[in-house]
Amino acid sequence: MQLKVPEHQVAGHIAKDGKPGPLVDDKGRFFKPLQGDSRGENEVKFYESFSTNTEVPDHIRRYFPAYHGTQAVEGSDGAAMIVLENLLADYSKPSVMDVKMGSRTWYPDASEEYIQKCLKKDTGTTTVSSGFRISGFEVYDHKELSFWKPERKLLRGLTVDGARLTLRKFVSSNSLSDMGSKPDSAFVSSVYGSSKGVLTQLLELKAWFENQTLYHFNSCSILMVYENESILKGNDDDARPQVKLVDFAHVLDGNGVIDHNFLGGLCSFINFIRDILQSPDESAES
Amino acid sequence: MLKVPEHQVAGHIASDGKLGPLVDDQGRFFKPLQGDSRGEHEAKFYESFTSNKKVPDHIHRYFPVYHGTQLVEASDGSGKLPHLVLDDVVSGYSNPSVMDVKIGSRTWYPDVSEEYFKKCIKKDKETTTVSLGFRVSGFKIFDHQESSFWRAEKKLVLGYNAAGARLALRKFVSSNSPADSNLIPNCAFASEVYGGSNGILVQLLELKDWFETQTLYHFNSCSILMIFENESILTKGGDNVQAVQAQVKLVDFAHVLDGNGVIDHNFLGGLCSFIKFIKDILQSIDQRDETNTSPLENGH
Repeated sequence: MQLKVPEHQVAGHIAKDGKPGPLVDDKGRFFKPLQGDSRGENEVKFYESFSTNTEVPDHIRRYFPAYHGTQAVEGSDGAAMIVLENLLADYSKPSVMDVKMGSRTWYPDASEEYIQKCLKKDTGTTTVSSGFRISGFEVYDHKELSFWKPERKLLRGLTVDGARLTLRKFVSSNSLSDMGSKPDSAFVSSVYGSSKGVLTQLLELKAWFENQTLYHFNSCSILMVYENESILKGNDDDARPQVKLVDFAHVLDGNGVIDHNFLGGLCSFINFIRDILQSPDESAES
Repeated sequence: MLKVPEHQVAGHIASDGKLGPLVDDQGRFFKPLQGDSRGEHEAKFYESFTSNKKVPDHIHRYFPVYHGTQLVEASDGSGKLPHLVLDDVVSGYSNPSVMDVKIGSRTWYPDVSEEYFKKCIKKDKETTTVSLGFRVSGFKIFDHQESSFWRAEKKLVLGYNAAGARLALRKFVSSNSPADSNLIPNCAFASEVYGGSNGILVQLLELKDWFETQTLYHFNSCSILMIFENESILTKGGDNVQAVQAQVKLVDFAHVLDGNGVIDHNFLGGLCSFIKFIKDILQSIDQRDETNTSPLENGH
C-alpha cells in the first residue's frame, strides 16, 4: 500500500517534527492519526455510532466522510489511524475551504483550561461575531495556473468584511495572491448557486439540524470543495461543489436538545453565501 | 394613578420602596430608565425600531408599542425620573399566565467589560443558557382551582436543568395544581396555547423566519414573553376568544446592538432550540391522545 502526504490539507494537523500527520493511498482512502488525550478515541466513537445510527436519514449521510474503521499503519510506529474516505480523491484540481461552525468552539463540561483557550480564539476571530470562522483554504488561481494558500496568520486576523471578501475570492478566477484586486466572483453561480450547489446543500443540512438531537458537533468544520479542471476546459457547470462535515474529536451526545450552537452559525454562514449570490459584483471593503 | 403591575415575572419589581415599573389604568406600562446608560440604550432601540422601514409590518406585533419617554414619579419615592412609556402587553387579559424566557446561548456580547462578561458567562453556564440556548427566567400560572396565581420560585427556576425547563413548559399549560410538585402536569391547554393556527408555535416560527435574514439588530439578553388567558379556555363559549389569544412578545432591549450585516445567530440558535422544546410537547400530546382510550381530565 503506497501512502503519501495529502496535497490539499487546508486546516488541522499536518505531519511535522516527527509527529504523524494524515496520509492518503491510491484507493481513495484517507488515514487520519488518532489524536492524543482521548480526542482520537472520541472521533472513532462518533464515526462508529454515526455509521450505524438508523436515525440518521439517508440523504444526510452524503455530508459525512465514509468510515472504514481503524488500522495500524506502517511507519507510524504501529499507532492506529482512522480510515476515512478521501474527500478529494475524485477531484483533480480542487479548491477547498474549511469553515469552523458555531459561535463557540467550547462546550459545557470541558475543562476550565480548554474553555479559556477556546474563548480566547473565539473572541479573537469571527466565531463570536459571525457564528463561524474560516480555518483555511486553498484556491486554484486560473491566471497563474497554480494553487494559492494564504498564511494561517492572515486567516486568524480576518474581520467580518474580510471573511466576506474571502468567500468571494474562493469562487473567483482573477489573481488571488494580489490582495488589491477586486474578486470577480466568476464561479459564484456554479459553485454557490446551482441547483446542486453549496447553498442548496447547506439548506438541506440546516433542515436536519433544526430537528436532530442525536449529536452536538462541537468544533466541527464544514469543508467546501469544487473542481477547477472542468472550469479550465471551459465548463464551469461541471464544478461538482460539495459540502462535507469533518473533524469529530469533540462531538457529544445531543441528549434530546438540538445543536443550537452549530445551527446558529450555519444560518449565519448561509446568509453570507446568499448575500454573495445576490450581489456578486459588489466587493466588500478590504 | 400609577400602580405596581401585578404580572411581572422577571426583571426589577417595584415593591417595598424599590425602583421598578408602573402601570396606569389606560393600558400603559412605565419602565424607569435604568442607570449606567442601559435605560437610554433601550429608549434608543425603541426609537430606531418604531421608525425602521426595514422591519416588516407583520413583525411589529411581537414588540411592545412605544410611546416615547415621560417624567414620572418613581416607585421608590426618589422623585420624578424619566420612564419609557410602552403599551402594557398584559392589559386586555384578566388573569394572564405569563412566562419569561431569555433567548440565546450567551447573554454577553463582543466589547463588553471583563466584569460584565464574567458575570454573564457564570450565569449562562449555571443555567440552561449554554446547554439549551435559552433559560426560563420566571413564570406564573393562574390556578383556577384556587382562583389565585401560582408563581414559580426564582431560585428554583434558575436552578433548572434541561428536564426542569421541559417540565416548566408543560406545567405552564396545565390545569392540575401547580403547587403540588408530585403531580405530573396534564398539559390540558397545550394544543390551544402552543398549537393551533394562531398559537405560540406558529408565532415563534414567524419570528424564526425573520431572524434567518434580518441583520438590523442583535437582541442580546432579550426575553420572549409568553402570555395566555387560562380562564377563557376553561369557560369557553364566551364571545371574547379574540382578546385572549396566546401571545409572544419580545421584551428587554437594554443590550440590543446593530446587526452590522450579520444575522443574530445567537438569538436564532436559541429560538430554534426553544421551538423544538415546544414541538416536542405538542408531539407528546398527540401521541398521548392517540394511545388514550379513556376521556382526558381537562379541567372542565
